[in-house]
Amino acid sequence: MYSLWTSIYDRGQDLSCSTATLEESDHHPDQKETLMTLAVEATALAKRYRGKGGEVDAVRGIDPAIPAGSVFGFLGPNGAGKSTTVRMLTTLMTITSGSARVAGVDVAADPDGVRRRIGVALREAGLDPRQTGRELLRLQCRLYGLSAAEAVARTEELLRLVELEDAADRNVKGYSGGMKRRLDLASALVHRPEVLFLDEPTTGLDPASRLTIWEEVRRINEQGTTVFLTTQYLEEADQLCDDVAIIDDGLIVRQGSPAALKDELGRRRGDGIAPTLDDVFLDATGRSRARVAGDVQEVRA
Amino acid sequence: MSDTTVLGGRAVRESLRTPDALIPTIFIPLFFPVVNTGRVSEIFRSDTTAFLQGRGYAAFQLPTSLLPAASFGSSALFLVEEIEGGYFDKLRAAPISRVSIVFGRLWSEGVKSLVLTALMVAVALPFGVRIAGGVTGFAVLLVLIALWAVVFSGFMQLVALKSRSAAATQAGSMVFFPLLFITPNFVPRDQLSPLMEIASSFNPVTYLMEAAGSLVLDPSFQWAVLGKGFAVVAVAMAVMVALTVRAINDYE
Repeated sequence: MYSLWTSIYDRGQDLSCSTATLEESDHHPDQKETLMTLAVEATALAKRYRGKGGEVDAVRGIDPAIPAGSVFGFLGPNGAGKSTTVRMLTTLMTITSGSARVAGVDVAADPDGVRRRIGVALREAGLDPRQTGRELLRLQCRLYGLSAAEAVARTEELLRLVELEDAADRNVKGYSGGMKRRLDLASALVHRPEVLFLDEPTTGLDPASRLTIWEEVRRINEQGTTVFLTTQYLEEADQLCDDVAIIDDGLIVRQGSPAALKDELGRRRGDGIAPTLDDVFLDATGRSRARVAGDVQEVRA
Repeated sequence: MSDTTVLGGRAVRESLRTPDALIPTIFIPLFFPVVNTGRVSEIFRSDTTAFLQGRGYAAFQLPTSLLPAASFGSSALFLVEEIEGGYFDKLRAAPISRVSIVFGRLWSEGVKSLVLTALMVAVALPFGVRIAGGVTGFAVLLVLIALWAVVFSGFMQLVALKSRSAAATQAGSMVFFPLLFITPNFVPRDQLSPLMEIASSFNPVTYLMEAAGSLVLDPSFQWAVLGKGFAVVAVAMAVMVALTVRAINDYE
């Protein structure tokens, strides 16, 4: 799978600032062709909230560029701006400044066009607890314009895909956390989206359910869907993602393929110890590990 | 099928699956007129009380049951639940008119109110209550009450959208009760104390109460009274729709 970030990294360019990276990529002879295949691209994307204590810059001008067909991991500590970015890209939140295109469609100019091309599974498994799994998927199909017959067929197909056929006629309220996540994932796929946004899809799941979701994500991606994944589990990003970006305090502070980022840190440290993606994350966000009485604590450097 | 009716169908299903949410909607509105009738029916006898037009006091009290039953706005609580649970965002991320998310619920509130109103009239029948306007009067009464249910529920959904809080939304539904008590629900407006008469004249619910009451008590349609009742609904509906469209489009 072609990776824009990997290719930039391999050219030995500084990846610490996404804006710079894009500007530099402007000079690349293949730039036009590369941009044509971007599933998500943004320029100086920013979000400012008006909160009780004054204005808050949740996202401060980021420029993610995600190649079509890839799995992109968006990492960051709590409150870094991950969910805000996802909400802007999925048309759930207005953009304060900058611009974004998803599946080739301008988010601000044609939000409905974006919605037709994307699937969304947000942090809370957004499901109606009083419907059965089957009813929920059929309703979702109808909302995406499928006819009644098409909705029935697609629902059965998706129930098989996420292995919920046996529970399909039970109210969602009685589903386990893992089942809810799988149903949520299925409901995001009813219209075969070009880009799938998954906001912390495995948070709170047991290891077995997490592995099932990973498998689903891989399968979905193999079918050509670009996956934009936010997660706090760095192992998850390492396992699933072709490229990752680390956001901290509203700015992208590191981006590239997990392997490239780890190599870069290893070279910079020069201590011969192979860094993990956790190390990259801690390095990029200015945090460090301190061992106190056998517990690993994360502290701000 | 439009998005509104698809989502309305879902909301109807939701109501059928939560019958416990309907209990206060029926019990509380029945409580007031039953108590009121028990307390004063001997004072306001049908043969000596002109405003009853020969009917029992229970008939006069029927609108006092119907209007509160239509003014619970319980669907707004379901909306808050969806906002908190994330399903609301799921719907907002779908390529549908965002207004249809709220209007689907209003559509179901209208349907629910039609059924509840018919049910409450049926419950009143054994107590000698009849709709003086006959079948037509009954149909007009159903439409009037159902439209009011849609309007009130719409305002409750506005509270839900703005506050995103179940507690605030629940408290919002209590607004109706002060309005109910400032209506001529015990005696006609001209028999209220002067201060109360003025207060009730400024209360839009008064005109709904009078329109509903006229359908129950008067076999000849009082068009002026009905016109005022429907005008209140129309104006409130226009305001509610305008505010709802704005709220849902500005929602983040």
